[in-house]
Amino acid sequence: MANIISNLNKAFDSRIRLGIMSVLMVNDTVDFNTLKELLELTDGNLASHIKALEGLNYIQSIKQFIGRKPNTQYSITETGRNSFQDHLNALEKLIQ
Amino acid sequence: MEKQLEDIKAIREMMEKSSKFLSLSGFSGILAGVTATVGATFAWLYLLRNPEATNFNRMQELTILLTDAIVVLGLSVSFALYFSWKKAKKNNMKLINKTTLKTIYNLGIPLLAGGIFSVICLWRGDVEIVASVTLIFYGLGLINASKYTFEEIHYLGITEVILGIGAAIFLSHGLLFWTIGFGICHIVYGAILYKKYDLK
Repeated sequence: MANIISNLNKAFDSRIRLGIMSVLMVNDTVDFNTLKELLELTDGNLASHIKALEGLNYIQSIKQFIGRKPNTQYSITETGRNSFQDHLNALEKLIQ
Repeated sequence: MEKQLEDIKAIREMMEKSSKFLSLSGFSGILAGVTATVGATFAWLYLLRNPEATNFNRMQELTILLTDAIVVLGLSVSFALYFSWKKAKKNNMKLINKTTLKTIYNLGIPLLAGGIFSVICLWRGDVEIVASVTLIFYGLGLINASKYTFEEIHYLGITEVILGIGAAIFLSHGLLFWTIGFGICHIVYGAILYKKYDLK
Protein backbone atom coordinates (compact mmCIF):
# COMPACT_ATOMS: atom_id res chain seq x y z
CA MET A 1 0.00 0.00 0.00
CA ALA A 2 2.72 2.43 0.98
CA ASN A 3 4.41 1.73 -2.29
CA ILE A 4 1.30 2.56 -4.30
CA ILE A 5 0.71 5.81 -2.43
CA SER A 6 4.25 6.90 -3.14
CA ASN A 7 3.39 6.70 -6.85
CA LEU A 8 0.86 9.50 -6.41
CA ASN A 9 2.37 12.72 -7.67
CA LYS A 10 2.40 15.50 -5.05
CA ALA A 11 2.18 18.08 -7.82
CA PHE A 12 -1.34 16.86 -8.62
CA ASP A 13 -2.55 16.99 -5.04
CA SER A 14 -4.31 20.27 -5.75
CA ARG A 15 -7.65 19.97 -7.51
CA ILE A 16 -6.83 23.00 -9.65
CA ARG A 17 -3.60 21.51 -11.05
CA LEU A 18 -5.45 18.26 -11.60
CA GLY A 19 -8.01 20.24 -13.58
CA ILE A 20 -5.43 22.07 -15.70
CA MET A 21 -3.70 18.79 -16.57
CA SER A 22 -7.02 17.05 -17.37
CA VAL A 23 -7.97 19.80 -19.82
CA LEU A 24 -4.55 19.73 -21.51
CA MET A 25 -4.58 15.93 -21.77
CA VAL A 26 -7.53 16.02 -24.17
CA ASN A 27 -6.93 19.36 -25.96
CA ASP A 28 -3.86 20.15 -28.07
CA THR A 29 -3.74 23.78 -26.99
CA VAL A 30 -5.94 25.84 -24.67
CA ASP A 31 -5.70 29.58 -24.02
CA PHE A 32 -5.63 31.26 -20.63
CA ASN A 33 -9.20 32.57 -20.71
CA THR A 34 -10.68 29.23 -21.68
CA LEU A 35 -8.84 27.57 -18.80
CA LYS A 36 -10.06 30.29 -16.47
CA GLU A 37 -13.66 29.73 -17.55
CA LEU A 38 -13.51 25.95 -17.42
CA LEU A 39 -11.98 25.86 -13.95
CA GLU A 40 -13.94 28.88 -12.69
CA LEU A 41 -10.88 30.64 -11.31
CA THR A 42 -9.51 34.15 -10.94
CA ASP A 43 -6.56 35.34 -13.05
CA GLY A 44 -4.11 35.31 -10.16
CA ASN A 45 -5.11 31.92 -8.85
CA LEU A 46 -4.85 30.26 -12.26
CA ALA A 47 -1.57 32.01 -13.07
CA SER A 48 0.15 30.75 -9.92
CA HIS A 49 -0.83 27.12 -10.60
CA ILE A 50 0.22 27.42 -14.23
CA LYS A 51 3.56 28.78 -13.12
CA ALA A 52 4.07 25.83 -10.81
CA LEU A 53 3.28 23.33 -13.55
CA GLU A 54 5.51 25.17 -16.01
CA GLY A 55 8.29 25.07 -13.42
CA LEU A 56 8.00 21.29 -13.31
CA ASN A 57 8.15 21.25 -17.12
CA TYR A 58 4.73 19.58 -17.24
CA ILE A 59 3.14 22.22 -19.43
CA GLN A 60 4.50 24.80 -21.85
CA SER A 61 3.19 28.10 -23.14
CA ILE A 62 3.32 29.89 -26.45
CA LYS A 63 2.77 33.63 -26.31
CA GLN A 64 1.33 35.27 -29.39
CA PHE A 65 -0.78 38.24 -30.44
CA ILE A 66 -4.26 38.08 -31.91
CA GLY A 67 -4.52 41.51 -33.47
CA ARG A 68 -3.12 43.65 -30.68
CA LYS A 69 -4.32 41.45 -27.85
CA PRO A 70 -1.79 39.16 -26.21
CA ASN A 71 -2.89 35.55 -26.19
CA THR A 72 -1.14 32.70 -24.42
CA GLN A 73 -1.72 29.12 -25.46
CA TYR A 74 -0.85 26.25 -23.17
CA SER A 75 -0.07 22.66 -24.05
CA ILE A 76 1.08 19.58 -22.18
CA THR A 77 4.68 18.38 -22.48
CA GLU A 78 5.81 14.79 -22.97
CA THR A 79 7.03 14.77 -19.35
CA GLY A 80 3.70 16.15 -18.19
CA ARG A 81 1.72 13.57 -20.13
CA ASN A 82 3.78 10.69 -18.70
CA SER A 83 3.63 12.02 -15.15
CA PHE A 84 -0.11 12.53 -15.33
CA GLN A 85 -0.60 9.06 -16.79
CA ASP A 86 1.46 7.57 -13.94
CA HIS A 87 -0.64 9.54 -11.46
CA LEU A 88 -3.86 8.27 -13.06
CA ASN A 89 -2.62 4.67 -12.93
CA ALA A 90 -1.71 5.08 -9.26
CA LEU A 91 -5.16 6.53 -8.52
CA GLU A 92 -6.85 3.64 -10.27
CA LYS A 93 -4.79 1.04 -8.40
CA LEU A 94 -5.70 2.70 -5.13
CA ILE A 95 -9.45 2.53 -5.60
CA GLN A 96 -9.44 -1.04 -6.88
CA MET B 1 -9.79 6.62 -0.61
CA GLU B 2 -12.60 9.17 -0.79
CA LYS B 3 -10.24 11.79 -2.14
CA GLN B 4 -8.89 9.49 -4.85
CA LEU B 5 -12.43 8.70 -6.04
CA GLU B 6 -13.31 12.39 -6.04
CA ASP B 7 -10.10 13.14 -7.95
CA ILE B 8 -10.91 10.62 -10.68
CA LYS B 9 -14.43 12.01 -10.94
CA ALA B 10 -13.05 15.56 -11.26
CA ILE B 11 -10.57 14.48 -13.93
CA ARG B 12 -13.26 12.79 -16.01
CA GLU B 13 -15.62 15.76 -15.67
CA MET B 14 -12.95 18.26 -16.69
CA MET B 15 -11.89 16.15 -19.70
CA GLU B 16 -15.51 15.93 -20.88
CA LYS B 17 -16.35 19.56 -20.18
CA SER B 18 -13.29 20.84 -22.04
CA SER B 19 -13.50 18.61 -25.09
CA LYS B 20 -17.23 18.14 -25.71
CA PHE B 21 -20.11 20.39 -26.68
CA LEU B 22 -22.29 19.72 -23.66
CA SER B 23 -24.59 22.72 -23.98
CA LEU B 24 -26.66 21.00 -26.66
CA SER B 25 -30.22 21.23 -25.42
CA GLY B 26 -32.38 18.11 -25.43
CA PHE B 27 -35.50 20.24 -25.15
CA SER B 28 -34.72 21.92 -28.48
CA GLY B 29 -34.55 18.43 -30.02
CA ILE B 30 -38.11 17.75 -28.86
CA LEU B 31 -39.29 21.08 -30.33
CA ALA B 32 -37.45 20.39 -33.63
CA GLY B 33 -39.19 17.02 -33.83
CA VAL B 34 -42.60 18.56 -33.25
CA THR B 35 -41.90 21.25 -35.88
CA ALA B 36 -40.83 18.62 -38.44
CA THR B 37 -43.94 16.53 -37.74
CA VAL B 38 -46.19 19.56 -38.19
CA GLY B 39 -44.37 20.54 -41.40
CA ALA B 40 -44.66 17.04 -42.83
CA THR B 41 -48.32 16.77 -41.86
CA PHE B 42 -48.98 20.08 -43.59
CA ALA B 43 -47.24 18.85 -46.77
CA TRP B 44 -49.20 15.62 -46.65
CA LEU B 45 -52.64 17.13 -46.02
CA TYR B 46 -52.23 20.14 -48.27
CA LEU B 47 -50.46 18.59 -51.25
CA LEU B 48 -49.36 15.01 -51.35
CA ARG B 49 -52.43 13.12 -50.10
CA ASN B 50 -54.45 14.06 -53.12
CA PRO B 51 -52.45 15.91 -55.78
CA GLU B 52 -55.48 16.22 -58.09
CA ALA B 53 -57.42 18.23 -55.51
CA THR B 54 -55.18 21.28 -55.95
CA ASN B 55 -54.47 23.00 -59.24
CA PHE B 56 -50.82 23.73 -58.62
CA ASN B 57 -48.38 22.96 -61.39
CA ARG B 58 -45.19 21.07 -60.58
CA MET B 59 -43.13 24.22 -60.08
CA GLN B 60 -45.65 25.66 -57.60
CA GLU B 61 -45.79 22.35 -55.76
CA LEU B 62 -42.02 22.28 -55.44
CA THR B 63 -41.95 25.86 -54.20
CA ILE B 64 -44.52 25.09 -51.50
CA LEU B 65 -42.61 21.98 -50.37
CA LEU B 66 -39.29 23.82 -50.33
CA THR B 67 -40.76 26.74 -48.37
CA ASP B 68 -42.28 24.29 -45.91
CA ALA B 69 -38.91 22.54 -45.51
CA ILE B 70 -37.00 25.81 -45.08
CA VAL B 71 -39.44 27.07 -42.43
CA VAL B 72 -39.04 23.76 -40.53
CA LEU B 73 -35.24 23.96 -40.80
CA GLY B 74 -35.13 27.62 -39.77
CA LEU B 75 -37.35 27.07 -36.73
CA SER B 76 -35.42 23.97 -35.65
CA VAL B 77 -32.04 25.70 -35.89
CA SER B 78 -33.41 28.71 -33.98
CA PHE B 79 -34.73 26.46 -31.20
CA ALA B 80 -31.39 24.64 -31.01
CA LEU B 81 -29.45 27.92 -30.79
CA TYR B 82 -31.77 29.58 -28.29
CA PHE B 83 -32.12 26.69 -25.85
CA SER B 84 -28.44 25.69 -26.09
CA TRP B 85 -27.52 29.30 -25.39
CA LYS B 86 -29.77 29.22 -22.32
CA LYS B 87 -28.29 25.93 -21.16
CA ALA B 88 -24.75 27.26 -21.62
CA LYS B 89 -25.61 30.34 -19.59
CA LYS B 90 -27.08 28.22 -16.82
CA ASN B 91 -23.87 26.17 -16.67
CA ASN B 92 -21.66 29.27 -16.73
CA MET B 93 -20.24 28.38 -20.15
CA LYS B 94 -19.98 30.30 -23.39
CA LEU B 95 -22.14 28.89 -26.19
CA ILE B 96 -19.53 29.53 -28.85
CA ASN B 97 -16.21 27.93 -28.00
CA LYS B 98 -13.77 25.56 -29.67
CA THR B 99 -15.88 22.44 -29.11
CA THR B 100 -19.07 24.08 -30.36
CA LEU B 101 -17.29 25.13 -33.54
CA LYS B 102 -15.82 21.64 -33.98
CA THR B 103 -19.29 20.12 -33.61
CA ILE B 104 -20.83 22.53 -36.10
CA TYR B 105 -17.97 22.04 -38.57
CA ASN B 106 -18.17 18.25 -38.46
CA LEU B 107 -21.95 18.24 -38.74
CA GLY B 108 -21.81 20.94 -41.41
CA ILE B 109 -19.69 19.24 -44.03
CA PRO B 110 -21.96 16.22 -44.72
CA LEU B 111 -24.98 18.48 -44.26
CA LEU B 112 -23.76 20.97 -46.86
CA ALA B 113 -22.86 18.18 -49.29
CA GLY B 114 -26.30 16.62 -48.75
CA GLY B 115 -28.02 19.97 -49.20
CA ILE B 116 -26.30 20.60 -52.52
CA PHE B 117 -26.98 17.02 -53.61
CA SER B 118 -30.68 17.41 -52.73
CA VAL B 119 -30.94 20.59 -54.78
CA ILE B 120 -29.33 18.78 -57.73
CA CYS B 121 -31.86 15.94 -57.35
CA LEU B 122 -34.74 18.44 -57.30
CA TRP B 123 -33.23 20.22 -60.29
CA ARG B 124 -33.15 16.95 -62.22
CA GLY B 125 -36.76 16.25 -61.28
CA ASP B 126 -35.91 13.44 -58.88
CA VAL B 127 -38.18 14.65 -56.09
CA GLU B 128 -38.95 11.31 -54.45
CA ILE B 129 -35.34 10.50 -53.60
CA VAL B 130 -34.83 13.74 -51.64
CA ALA B 131 -36.33 12.39 -48.38
CA SER B 132 -33.79 9.58 -48.46
CA VAL B 133 -30.88 11.88 -49.35
CA THR B 134 -31.60 14.34 -46.53
CA LEU B 135 -31.94 11.52 -43.97
CA ILE B 136 -28.71 9.77 -45.00
CA PHE B 137 -26.54 12.90 -45.14
CA TYR B 138 -28.01 14.24 -41.89
CA GLY B 139 -27.32 10.89 -40.23
CA LEU B 140 -23.72 10.87 -41.48
CA GLY B 141 -23.28 14.43 -40.22
CA LEU B 142 -24.54 13.43 -36.76
CA ILE B 143 -22.23 10.40 -36.62
CA ASN B 144 -19.33 12.63 -37.65
CA ALA B 145 -20.12 15.30 -35.05
CA SER B 146 -20.96 12.89 -32.22
CA LYS B 147 -17.28 12.61 -31.25
CA TYR B 148 -17.55 16.15 -29.92
CA THR B 149 -20.85 15.91 -28.07
CA PHE B 150 -23.15 13.41 -26.31
CA GLU B 151 -22.68 9.80 -27.37
CA GLU B 152 -26.43 9.41 -27.92
CA ILE B 153 -26.04 11.57 -31.03
CA HIS B 154 -24.01 8.75 -32.58
CA TYR B 155 -26.98 6.38 -32.33
CA LEU B 156 -29.40 9.02 -33.55
CA GLY B 157 -27.14 9.34 -36.61
CA ILE B 158 -27.17 5.60 -37.27
CA THR B 159 -30.97 5.55 -36.92
CA GLU B 160 -31.27 8.37 -39.47
CA VAL B 161 -29.01 6.59 -41.99
CA ILE B 162 -31.03 3.35 -41.69
CA LEU B 163 -34.29 5.30 -42.16
CA GLY B 164 -32.74 7.04 -45.18
CA ILE B 165 -31.92 3.71 -46.79
CA GLY B 166 -35.45 2.54 -45.99
CA ALA B 167 -36.81 5.65 -47.67
CA ALA B 168 -34.79 4.85 -50.80
CA ILE B 169 -36.10 1.26 -50.90
CA PHE B 170 -39.73 2.23 -50.26
CA LEU B 171 -39.53 5.28 -52.47
CA SER B 172 -43.21 6.18 -52.46
CA HIS B 173 -43.25 6.31 -48.65
CA GLY B 174 -40.43 8.86 -48.44
CA LEU B 175 -42.47 11.37 -46.46
CA LEU B 176 -43.37 8.75 -43.86
CA PHE B 177 -39.69 7.85 -43.33
CA TRP B 178 -38.81 11.55 -43.29
CA THR B 179 -41.43 12.19 -40.58
CA ILE B 180 -40.13 9.30 -38.48
CA GLY B 181 -36.50 10.45 -38.92
CA PHE B 182 -36.83 14.18 -38.44
CA GLY B 183 -39.98 14.15 -36.30
CA ILE B 184 -40.34 11.11 -34.06
CA CYS B 185 -36.60 10.39 -33.70
CA HIS B 186 -35.86 13.98 -32.66
CA ILE B 187 -38.66 13.86 -30.10
CA VAL B 188 -37.46 10.52 -28.69
CA TYR B 189 -33.72 11.36 -28.60
CA GLY B 190 -34.48 14.92 -27.47
CA ALA B 191 -36.46 13.52 -24.55
CA ILE B 192 -33.62 11.11 -23.67
CA LEU B 193 -31.06 13.95 -23.70
CA TYR B 194 -33.42 16.22 -21.79
CA LYS B 195 -34.01 13.66 -19.06
CA LYS B 196 -30.37 12.59 -18.84
CA TYR B 197 -28.54 15.94 -19.08
CA ASP B 198 -30.80 19.03 -19.07
CA LEU B 199 -32.53 18.25 -15.81
CA LYS B 200 -29.23 17.91 -13.94
